[in-house]
Amino acid sequence: MLINELIEIIEYFIVMLITAFAFAYFFGWLERKFVGKFQRRHGPTYLGKFGLLQNLADFFKLLTKEQVWPKKADKLLFLVSVFLIAGFTLYLVMLLPIYNFYIINSSIILLLIFIILSFLPILIALNGYSSSNKFAMISAQRSILLLISFEIPLFLVLIAIGYYVHSYSIVSIVNAQSNLWFLFIMPIGFFVFLMALLAEMERTPFDLREADSELIAGWLTDTGAPYYMLALFVDYIRSFFGAAIISLLFLGGWYGPFGNSFIWLFIKTIFVALFIMFIRAIAIRMRIDRILYFGWIVLLALSIINLYLVYLGY
Amino acid sequence: MSLVKINIGPVHPSTHGLLRLVVTLDGDTIVNVEPHVGFLHRGVEKLAENRMYMQIPPFIEKCDYVAKMAMDEAYVATVEAAMGIEPNERAQYERVILLELQRIASHLLWLGAMLNDLGHFFSVFMWTFADRDKVLKLLEEATGQRMFYVNMRLGGLRQEFPKDFEYHALDVLTYLEKRINEYESFIENSSLFKERMYKVGVLSRDDAINLGVSGPVLRASGVNFDVRKDKPYYVYKKLNFKPIVLYNGDNFSRYKVRILEIKESIRLIREAFKQMPDGNATGMPIKLINPAPKNKVVRVSREGPRGEIMFYLVADEQRPYRLAMRTPAFINLAALNHIARGNKFANLFPIIGSLDLVMADVDK
Repeated sequence: MLINELIEIIEYFIVMLITAFAFAYFFGWLERKFVGKFQRRHGPTYLGKFGLLQNLADFFKLLTKEQVWPKKADKLLFLVSVFLIAGFTLYLVMLLPIYNFYIINSSIILLLIFIILSFLPILIALNGYSSSNKFAMISAQRSILLLISFEIPLFLVLIAIGYYVHSYSIVSIVNAQSNLWFLFIMPIGFFVFLMALLAEMERTPFDLREADSELIAGWLTDTGAPYYMLALFVDYIRSFFGAAIISLLFLGGWYGPFGNSFIWLFIKTIFVALFIMFIRAIAIRMRIDRILYFGWIVLLALSIINLYLVYLGY
Repeated sequence: MSLVKINIGPVHPSTHGLLRLVVTLDGDTIVNVEPHVGFLHRGVEKLAENRMYMQIPPFIEKCDYVAKMAMDEAYVATVEAAMGIEPNERAQYERVILLELQRIASHLLWLGAMLNDLGHFFSVFMWTFADRDKVLKLLEEATGQRMFYVNMRLGGLRQEFPKDFEYHALDVLTYLEKRINEYESFIENSSLFKERMYKVGVLSRDDAINLGVSGPVLRASGVNFDVRKDKPYYVYKKLNFKPIVLYNGDNFSRYKVRILEIKESIRLIREAFKQMPDGNATGMPIKLINPAPKNKVVRVSREGPRGEIMFYLVADEQRPYRLAMRTPAFINLAALNHIARGNKFANLFPIIGSLDLVMADVDK
């Protein structure tokens, strides 16, 4: 009995791991191609068909680079935080259900996910602090600033969803959307959620943590190549997670015409990912002092309005 | 809170070359910006003293590798002034056309780089780069070189324009006009852009005059000074144009002045093509130039894309006794501390971008 459950859990972990890795790889390739098309250039073309192997080549190139430790860097803190970031991000993906294929279906799973998600900026801040680089330090401060600006609106949207569904289980949330997506039930909430998740995923216009024209690479400025690669990979996995959670919570998950299937979830996830890339291709970075205004005035107000509308409508 | 010193550059994604800034921050507010220049110093002025007059343009051009033609022309005009040569009218028109094309190319590159400094992920940069390439193709057609032309000769150009250059140029101009309008609506409709450009990095009129800035930076602060209009050279007198002047002195004005200047340049080129007389614009071959009068001192100033380019030449017979350059980006960089002080750290890079610095131009 226990053995069977254990095997099921391991099976699920392996499937999700492969999915996440494949998607992260695919996301990296797609972003290069898609943004390239947007900018009237080709993107990678040399390695493999359509440059599909380019990211693999970059991966190996980064692995062969020398790892340099800055003199004043806090090695232990750095290593702990970088692996915790990677571990937590993978763990987040493990908690996502795919149709009838999931590991935990608890009624508080969504809260767990987002508590872990709001723990990540703190780890990133620690990581930035550990390298004792001033750019990384600024990036760490910005990470905390993003956390305090976007976390409350995000959770207010989650509360609205929970209020509507009477559960924080993702499976019940998706099942509640069998007739109408939450995108149409709470469009304001969707907007707030999207903005907050963009900030979580370090995507423009809220990519303040690794603002490359200001902070070089933000919290990764002094990071050596192997760990940089790890962080980059985690970044893609986080993007996968963001796209997946948006399609689960707002776009009806696996519900679609011609039968419900996990394929719908994949299609929706890819569309959301493309949308995120599209934003990256056209948007300008928001200034740091406007973020507070945007988070605390605009998004907070919108999320409260959203909550109230859901309360009225229900 | 205690002050923090941050060292930005010389290797940094948005310092436009090799600029090192030591920035003092109070929290997120800039207290002081100290530019350290000289990483790209090649001693062009000194090199010029050991070379014949027409061996110098290749060095001069590398000073401003974004607007090569403007530097080249300013230098050759200085030598012409020292020798008392005046190019014929057709040569003057052709030079004006080339200069304005170069101005368009330079401003297009600037536009993309500016958006990058604001945190745009290379989209506008790639678009303007492609459009700039069309202009460079034209210049290649006219001069034979894509980047470093060395095209100016005493009394004219190295070669006459090719036969159907005018048609190609007008074609490209029509295309560019459309594109510029597209960029304008794409960029200015973005509220994030407005937020980061309006009333950011204000340089007042008095400060602009006192700091000696020139070019679009000066005109964005409400000073109506354009060398093409105020000390007209070549056929700019006959061409009907007015300098673009805006009055806010902020990042947005500096952006807008350049956009409007591109449009004005397009108009100017069209007019110049219409007025251009027949004739031969070919200048003297390099080997045949006469010796210049000894100890003659000339000073020539030109309106480059970045501002006023000024050459000061003490002539010797075969080579300059002394050549001094006033490069616009160097003087404009001096205004950086003044503009950036009191701004947020994130605003520093758009301000640097809006000054349109080319570090080779700063370091000479």
